[in-house]
Order: sequence, then C-alpha cells, then structure tokens
Amino acid sequence: MVNVTVDPLTRIEGHLRVSTEVNADGVITDAQSSSVIFRGFERILQNQDPRDAGLLTQRICGVCPISHCLTATNALDQLYGVEDQVPKDALVMRNILQGLNFIASHATNIYVLWGPDLANPDYKKVLATLGDTGDAVWKELAGRFAPIGYKIDGVAVPAGTSNMAAIPAKKTLHEAIALIGGRMPGPVTPYPGGYTYKANVGDVVKLSSYYLKVMDFVSNYTLKVPFDTWIENTYQASSPQKAVNFVVEHLQSLVDKSLASNDFSREAGWGDAELFAAFGSELVGETLLGLPASLKLDNIGGYKDPSKICFVSYGGFYGAKDGYDSASPEGERVLTSGVVGGNLEYQKFDPSKITESVAHAFYDDSKGDLHPSKGETIPFTDPEKISYTGGSESRYTWDKAPRYDGIPGEVGPLARMLAAKEPLVTGVAQALNEKEYSAANVYTRVLARIQETAVVAYNLLNWVTNDYDPTGRISVPIDLSAAKNSQGMGLWEAPRGALGHWVSCDGSGKVANYQAVVPTTWNVSPRDAAGVPGPLEQALIGSKINAVQNILGVDYTNPLGIFHTGRSYDPCISCAVHTTDLTGKNAPVTLRIV
Amino acid sequence: MKNLVRKLDSVDFLKMDRRTFMKAVGALGATVFLNTYKTEIVSALELEETKLIWLHGSECTGCSISLLNAGNPDIAQALTKLNVNLAYHETLLAQQGIFVDGKLANTSELNSEILLEELIEEGNYILVVEGSIPNGPNGSGKYLMLGNRTFKEILGAAAKNANAIVAVGACAAYGGITSADSDVAKDTDYRGVAFSKKDSKGGMLQELGIDKPVINIPGCPAHPDWVLLTLGAVILGKINIPEDLPDVLDQYGRPKVFYPPDHTVHENCPRRGFYDRGEFDDQVGGEKCLWKLGCKAPYAHADCAIRKWNGSVSMCTQAGGPCIACVEPDFPDMARPLYVEAEDKGVLLGANIDTISKVAVGAAAVTAGVHAVRRMKGE
Repeated sequence: MVNVTVDPLTRIEGHLRVSTEVNADGVITDAQSSSVIFRGFERILQNQDPRDAGLLTQRICGVCPISHCLTATNALDQLYGVEDQVPKDALVMRNILQGLNFIASHATNIYVLWGPDLANPDYKKVLATLGDTGDAVWKELAGRFAPIGYKIDGVAVPAGTSNMAAIPAKKTLHEAIALIGGRMPGPVTPYPGGYTYKANVGDVVKLSSYYLKVMDFVSNYTLKVPFDTWIENTYQASSPQKAVNFVVEHLQSLVDKSLASNDFSREAGWGDAELFAAFGSELVGETLLGLPASLKLDNIGGYKDPSKICFVSYGGFYGAKDGYDSASPEGERVLTSGVVGGNLEYQKFDPSKITESVAHAFYDDSKGDLHPSKGETIPFTDPEKISYTGGSESRYTWDKAPRYDGIPGEVGPLARMLAAKEPLVTGVAQALNEKEYSAANVYTRVLARIQETAVVAYNLLNWVTNDYDPTGRISVPIDLSAAKNSQGMGLWEAPRGALGHWVSCDGSGKVANYQAVVPTTWNVSPRDAAGVPGPLEQALIGSKINAVQNILGVDYTNPLGIFHTGRSYDPCISCAVHTTDLTGKNAPVTLRIV
Repeated sequence: MKNLVRKLDSVDFLKMDRRTFMKAVGALGATVFLNTYKTEIVSALELEETKLIWLHGSECTGCSISLLNAGNPDIAQALTKLNVNLAYHETLLAQQGIFVDGKLANTSELNSEILLEELIEEGNYILVVEGSIPNGPNGSGKYLMLGNRTFKEILGAAAKNANAIVAVGACAAYGGITSADSDVAKDTDYRGVAFSKKDSKGGMLQELGIDKPVINIPGCPAHPDWVLLTLGAVILGKINIPEDLPDVLDQYGRPKVFYPPDHTVHENCPRRGFYDRGEFDDQVGGEKCLWKLGCKAPYAHADCAIRKWNGSVSMCTQAGGPCIACVEPDFPDMARPLYVEAEDKGVLLGANIDTISKVAVGAAAVTAGVHAVRRMKGE
C-alpha cells in the first residue's frame, strides 16, 4: 500500500489536504480529507449588532460572498419578523444578485479551477495512442483548458483559450453585480426587510446588456446549440428521457460529422460543453455515441454504497409561482429544496434532521452530535494535538461532519439539479445508475454545474426583464427591538451547495449565538462518530488514481483521479471552516422551523 | 495631453500628490499610464522578467478574485506589459502538492511544493501575500498548515529571499477580519505580514525576526488598481525599496497616493451633496447621506469614491450600503456596529453631525460670498 497525499490541493478556494492509501492496482482503498485551517469566524459576531452578519459573514468567502450575505439576510428577515413582508422587487433584486454570482462562480470552477486538469500531461500520453483522433482531441483539450504558465516536459503550453476568455466574462458578471450591489467581491445591498439599492430603468437596460455580453461568451465558447433551443429541449423537456435524447442526438450529429475529419473545433460545432459531454463520459461517449475512447470521468469520484450517501438541497432563488415568498425555504423556490437518496429516491427536506459530529475534528466533542442551532465549537489549543498524519481513526481536520438524518450528504449543483428534478441531469444520473455506475461522479458533477449555469442564466433574464419593476418598493422598515430574544434561520443555496445560517439574540437584541453550516463542510466532511466517511472520502475510495482508469499503468506521482474528484466538488475551505457560536456558556436555542 | 505624457515619463507616480495622480490617471486611463511608464524604461533596456510569488494565508480568495476584475489594465494585459511571470499562485497554477509515502513526488511542472521550493531558492522575486497568518495556538502557527508545514514557516522562507514584499488585502496587511475581537482571537493570534492591526511591531515578520520593508495594500477586498499600479511601480523601478518608502507610504504602510492621509471616501461620496445640506436617510433604500445608517466614509482613507469599483460602475455608498472603512488598520472593529452612526464614539472630534453639516453649509455660503465680493470688485 502506498500513501499518496495531495497537499495543498490547489485551484480551489482555500486550503485542502487529501491523503489516500493506494494499492498496487492504483485503486484508492482509504482516504481522509483535511481542512487545514482554523479561523474562528462567527465568534466575532457574538454580542454584536445582528445586522452586521450580512456584511461580515460574506467575508467568510470571497468567491461566493453574496450567498453568505443573502443567507444571513434571510435569517435576519426572520429575526426581525419581516420575512413575509419583504417586497417582491427586493426579492427579485436578491435573485439577480445571486444569479449573477452563480454564473460567475460556476464558470470559474469549470474553466479556471477544475478545467485545467483536462490538460494534464497524462491525457496527452493516453490520447497519443489513439492516432489522429487522439491528437485532435488533445489539441482541443490543451488548447482550451491549459492553465497559465503551464509546461509539459519543459515545453511551454499556451494558456487555454476558454480559460483566458472566461476571466473577462467573469469580470463582466462582476460589473453587473457591482451595478446593483456596490462592488464585487463585497457587495453591500442585501439588508433585512429588503434591499438598499433601487435599480432604475437605466440599470435594467445595463443589466440586459451585461447579460448579452455574457451570452456572447456562452455562444462563442461554451455551447454551440442556440441557447433557447438548449433550454427548451433540456430544462423544459417533458421528461428526463427526452432531455437525454435531445443531447445525445445533438452530439451524435457532431460525431458523425467530425469523426472522419478529426475536426473537433468550435468551428465544427464543438463548444466546450459539447466536447465535455461527449468525451468526458464512457457511457455517453463510448457506449451511446460510439466514440473510440473517452476520459471515463463517470468511472471516478462515485459512491460505492448508496445507503451511506444522500443529496441535499435547501432550495435556492425566491420563486414566483404564486407570488414571491421569502418566508418558505421549501415551497416555491426556483430550485426547489429536497433530499435525494443514494438510489435517487426523493424525500422532503426537514432542517431539524441536520446534525454535526466533531468526532474526527480538532474540537472538543464531549456532548456528541448536535443540531447546528445547539452546536459547540471548542478548538484544540494544544499544538501537539494538531496532526494530519494519524490516519482514518484519528482526528485529522478542522471540518465538522454534518449529517442529514445521520447520513453524509453531497451538496452543490448535482444535488440541486436532482432535488429540482432538472430533466437533463436527472436523466443522465438515472441512465448511469441503471448501468451500474454511481449516479454521482466527476462527470455528472461537472455536467450538473454546466447545466445549472444555463438554468440560472435562463431565469436571470426573466428576473431582469419581466419580474423586476423599477417603480416598486424595495424595502420595509425593521423594528430593531424585534431582535430581542428572537431567532432566525436562513436556508439558501450557494453556488457550492446548501448554506444555512442560524442566529439568536439575547434580551438586549445582541447576538447570543451565530452558526453557519456551509456547503463544503458537507462535501469534504471527515468521518462521523460511527466512522462513516464524508462524501469526498467516499468518492475517492474505490476510484483509480490515474488517467482513464489507469490505462497507462500505475503512477503514484500524478494522481489525476484525486485532482479531478477533489475539484469536482468545487471546494471552498474558507467557508468550510468558519466555526461558530457559543462556548457552552449560552443557553441552547429553540429554532423556529418554517 | 502630449505634455502631460511627457511629464509623466519623468515622474514617479507613487510620489505624486493625490490630485496630480488622479488627474493623470483620469485623463489617460491606467493602461496608457502604465504603457507610458514602460516606454521610458524599455527604450533604455528591455524590461526583464519579474517573478511573482503570490502566497495565500488565511484568506477568502476575495483579493485574488478582485484582482481578476482589474479593468485598466486587466490582469492579462498587466502581466504581459510588465513582463511578469506569475510563477506561484495557488488558485491559478497548474501544480499541486504531491507526496508519495511522505516524500515530494514528480517535478515542479506538476508539484507546487517543489515549484515553490525552487522559486524561493532562485530568489529574485516579488512576494505578494494574501490572507493573514495565524501565530496560534501557542505560537506554533499550526492553525494553518500547507504541505505539512505551518504557513508561518512558509512565509518566513519566502520573505527572506524576496526582493520586495507586498501585503494585499486587509488580512495580509493588518489581520483584517481574522483579527476581529472575539473570544477565540487570543488563541488564533492572527497577524498581518508587517502589522497586527495598528501595531507596526506586531506583524508576523517581526515575530519571525525578519526585518524587511512591506508595502500594504489594504481593503476588503483590495481594489485591483491599487494592487496592479503599486506592483507596476515596484517592477518598473519607479520606487526604490527601501529608500523611497518613507516618502510614499503612510504610517500604516499604505501608498499615500491611494490612501491619502488628507482625504477620505466621504469627500467625493456621490451622496455628499445630501450631507452638505444636512439630509440623511434613516431607512435603507433611499438616496440621501448614509451617515445615520452607520456610514464610516469620513474615517476611510481611500480613493474609492473617485476610482469606484468594477470598471468604475459603482461603490458601496452609491449602492446604499454604508462604507465600512475596510482600508483602515483596525477594520472591522473600528467600524462596528456597521449600521449605527459613529458620533457616539466621539469621532469627528466629538461633534454632532448636524452641527458639522450646518457649519459646512455655512462655510460654503461664506466662500461663495467672498467670491461674489471679489467678482464685484473686479478681481
């Protein structure tokens, strides 16, 4: 057995260590994921004005500050008892702000963080064995996704065209956020009871033009099918089967056209999404489309035991079905809440079923597993007790282990698309499940992120051009004294997954307890008290470490399987280890569960 | 315009006073401005490649994200024009740390730990630090470890061989949000590179016994222009380190040209007119002065209101949020509570804001009166 450790796993937000045991066949047999930083974050909110939470918690993360700000604002809406009075146009503005952030964050993962691994030198070697077709595919992968300053065998590889074009596209999205948020990162506009900035007609026009600019990027680089056609036939398809058929037929027509000429360029109709969808998956690429080879990303990063995993979504974006409703996390959100089991069975989401274990983290755990509203965070202060090399039985991370009804939960685009029953992602997941693949794997995680970007972009245009009324009301006044002895819960979705903030105030209206349970805490969680590994750990165990199912033999020094799997969750460690709340000196809180 | 360009050729902008600088950059755009700078140097000798090592401590990546939002010049332009080799940046690089049975594996083409070691060994680089550095627990620095080493140790090694050190963002400069008052702050013991809040002797370098000058570019996040223009000046040799630093930096290590001691965000705030007329919002969503909603712009020494953010689209107070003075060394504590007006804390010389604005209006009237009298006299 060989220990293969990736530390730091770069190209993510924050600092993550992944330690694995790998057998002689190059298969991972054990894994620990470690968040290697402790910041002590929400403790700074204690005894403070609760309204500060919106602007201060967004400093947990500079990639998705808006999600923290809005989740805090949801909790504060409830704390001040105005959650059912927030004006519609404030909710639309919050949606627009969050939607822009989703697209920017997803694009960053796809192109700048996860994507560059497609230019790993081992793909060059594997594809070189496939003659002209392999060479042509490598040319596309490296040409589009190579990171900056990259070299293979001493030869400089120019930065990928998609990678480089994504940066200005993200910048454009951030300008749009700044227009209605003040600046990005660090927007200032969400506030309990509404929103601080009333966008005017000119702003709406500018937002539309930013949108068009971003869609130019999408049509030039990402997706070569007209966007409306794609949405109509996938997101709005009448069944998962129809959505999958549409995509497979579209890809088949590309394959038929290109296989003879070995032209997989954008000009030949291969957008980045098409290229990934076809060549990323064994099932789609080889079995369904008849390609000579694929990257087999559907073979890695999957779960082996469906009873030990679920997919959790709290629900994101205020819905407009029966009028906007800020009060309900369940009901009418655009991306509905829900819990999906390891075999894709659906359940209703119940926030009271969340617990956190610190049995394998560097915290005192004398009280056992606790609901976040009652959670404790007492960090080890003895340096000798902080070690990352003790193996699976030891304490090895600053990340707590959240569980839903006792089970590890994956959160993020895949969980959301499954919970919302988005036809394309659901269809692909079902097809994989039927063919004995894990429904969740590196391929479906990235595919879901791509598809969710499209879904959010589609809704965004609607919020900007149809739902927002520049003459509407943007906020209701809050009564500061309403915070006294009050509580609030904010459940929301960040780009990386389910995000919850819990706040309670004392008799003076100051914060008695503030707690956040964030997406990456779920995804990179360690083992719990029962010894069940977290989602990333489960996804690693049983996966092969090298390119294309170790086709070139075993090379412990380039464990691409770990890179791909780790980055497919789009981890954000700053978020994951935020740490909170009381030191046991404050009374436990009663939650108002809506 | 031509004269202005020629003039700029021979001027070190970090040494400019703020008005001249603003005028210059405003008139030319920062790209042209940087180009102008470069032309002069390149005509004498080809600009050599500058290596940049960008370390991430305890941070949220917000400053890197902000840097990618740079407009004039954008990040790609800036790297090309200044011939910068962004040799190490955890969020962007191809490499990662790879250990096989505890030993470093592969080469610097794939292994970031080997890459960093080699770069530090070679020396001759500018070190940029984003994020603060934990000294805790108990001075061990183990609250942040990368590749099984403490970040404290990594920073020490990288700082020793650096030609120049730039701390980007509130956290790297002063500890920022990680140093905010809390019941765990004592244990975590977060430090900036050269400062701990306002304490110029409390930084991590001091703790490590390293005596090197540091340029602070605070902000939560730092504005990309502040970062790129400062790096530009350093790379182009427009400021000499350490000789010029006492002239161009303020007492908290900030370039005075961006963080002017005699200028606050308040002075050019888009809502300033309402302040001068004594008109204040007391609920969010309005358009008047935000002072009573907790705005700390009068204490924030920065050019946000002139430069604005994200392609000059907006800024905090323009969008109705209070300025939280994120450029100040004791941010966020000095700005808390964020939504409560600051007069109770005895700031603004303890004066009541209503009185102040009346005085301001009065002074304006007097000035107008003087002009009127002069005009009448034909002066």
